[in-house]
Amino acid sequence: MRRRAGNAVLFALGLMIGATAAAAAPADSPVNVPEPEGLYTGPPHGYTPATLKGATVIDLKGLEALLPEAPVLIDVVLADRRPAGFPADRPWLPTHRSIPKAVWLPGAGEAPLPPDREAAFLARVAALTGGDKAKPIVTFCRPECWGSWNAGKRLVAAGYTRVHWYPLGVEGWQDDHETTTVKPDPPWVAANGSPER
Amino acid sequence: MKRLLLALSLTLSAAALAPVPVRAGATDSDEERAARWTEIKKTIFGDRAVEVNDAAVKIDAPVRALDASLVPIGLTLADKDNVKGLYFIIDDNPSPYAAHFTFGPAADPGEIKMRVRVNNYTNVHAVVETKDGKLVETAKFVKASGGCSAPMGMSDEEAMKGMGDMRMKFSDGQGGKPVEATLMVRHPNFSGMQMNQVTRDYTPARYVDKLDVTHGDQLVFHLDGDISIASNPVIHFGIKPDGKGPVTVAATDNQGGRWEHKFELPSASN
Repeated sequence: MRRRAGNAVLFALGLMIGATAAAAAPADSPVNVPEPEGLYTGPPHGYTPATLKGATVIDLKGLEALLPEAPVLIDVVLADRRPAGFPADRPWLPTHRSIPKAVWLPGAGEAPLPPDREAAFLARVAALTGGDKAKPIVTFCRPECWGSWNAGKRLVAAGYTRVHWYPLGVEGWQDDHETTTVKPDPPWVAANGSPER
Repeated sequence: MKRLLLALSLTLSAAALAPVPVRAGATDSDEERAARWTEIKKTIFGDRAVEVNDAAVKIDAPVRALDASLVPIGLTLADKDNVKGLYFIIDDNPSPYAAHFTFGPAADPGEIKMRVRVNNYTNVHAVVETKDGKLVETAKFVKASGGCSAPMGMSDEEAMKGMGDMRMKFSDGQGGKPVEATLMVRHPNFSGMQMNQVTRDYTPARYVDKLDVTHGDQLVFHLDGDISIASNPVIHFGIKPDGKGPVTVAATDNQGGRWEHKFELPSASN
């Protein structure tokens, strides 16, 4: 009896470990990647799900069809960091090209995010949408990047009703359309202290 | 009518005076790319004039690269007898300055090939410095993205195994033709922008910063490298056929690594 109980505990423990490992490990196939319950806290680069509960997943055609409504375009691509050990006398001139009119909030899709940065993100989106929760919003970064999935997830949780996730990101756009150079959004940088965060 | 002509000529002269030359049909994006190049040129060459000549260098690059962290680049120089140095610049890489070759008397600088990392759809520029000190630029658009931050798909320790090992392949170089050489250096050339996906730390930049190839006691070329050169650098270059002695390669990296290897030319070329 005691042994059976022990086994049950071990079994439950095994399940928990299994579940934890599954949540943290990247998917090894692009097919049927499950949606995590909440935000995705695993490695930021990897296969992403085909869905985002509460949001619409769009391809390039879907994005083109949405543009006449002037959606808020939120780019969460991480800013390039000056590498440790990079010589001081070499030019370090990071630049970022994005979908025209996009607002670049580098790192806004990271998870977990400290509460003040999470609040800064939601405050910034509230300002960009003029407080209209039904305003169309598109989140994107690059292919196989969980950041834009997380950013979309945060906005769905915050009550936005027309959140669109564009998983193809800048790469999916630049084959058919011009990109434009964007700078990190100044209010977001001010809230974070550095664009590299 | 006279006023119209005057207005027209004013418009024309204003266009001629525009600081960034923009071709007809150019888009905002083209203008931005031109402005970016102007900024990079100023950073690298200061106030020196850089003449545009699309025929100076033939840049071979895939229109669309299969692997942005390993983009093959071929540079064929039109006037190889009047070349002192060659710069290769990848405009939209955060560190655009990819490579600078300075050729010595034992070089046949007709063709250089190497593999680079490309961060985003970008113009690349080859800039030749002629023996009389003129700079001449040629550009090409390359479609690749994500190359600077792409992880190598193995642990850092594994990537550094055998670091500094070198191999060299020579063509026969018979009949007074230049000897074609391909140098392969084992070195991860960490860009410093590659994130370990598990620890989320960035592997510090560790790259071949200086490499000298000599034939006997004569310099073939000196290379100033950068993080934009792909891991395990492969460099294809030419050596004048009439030199004597072994070919020596001496390389250093930015973290104090130092390696030297000697290679014998195939006897047919001596």
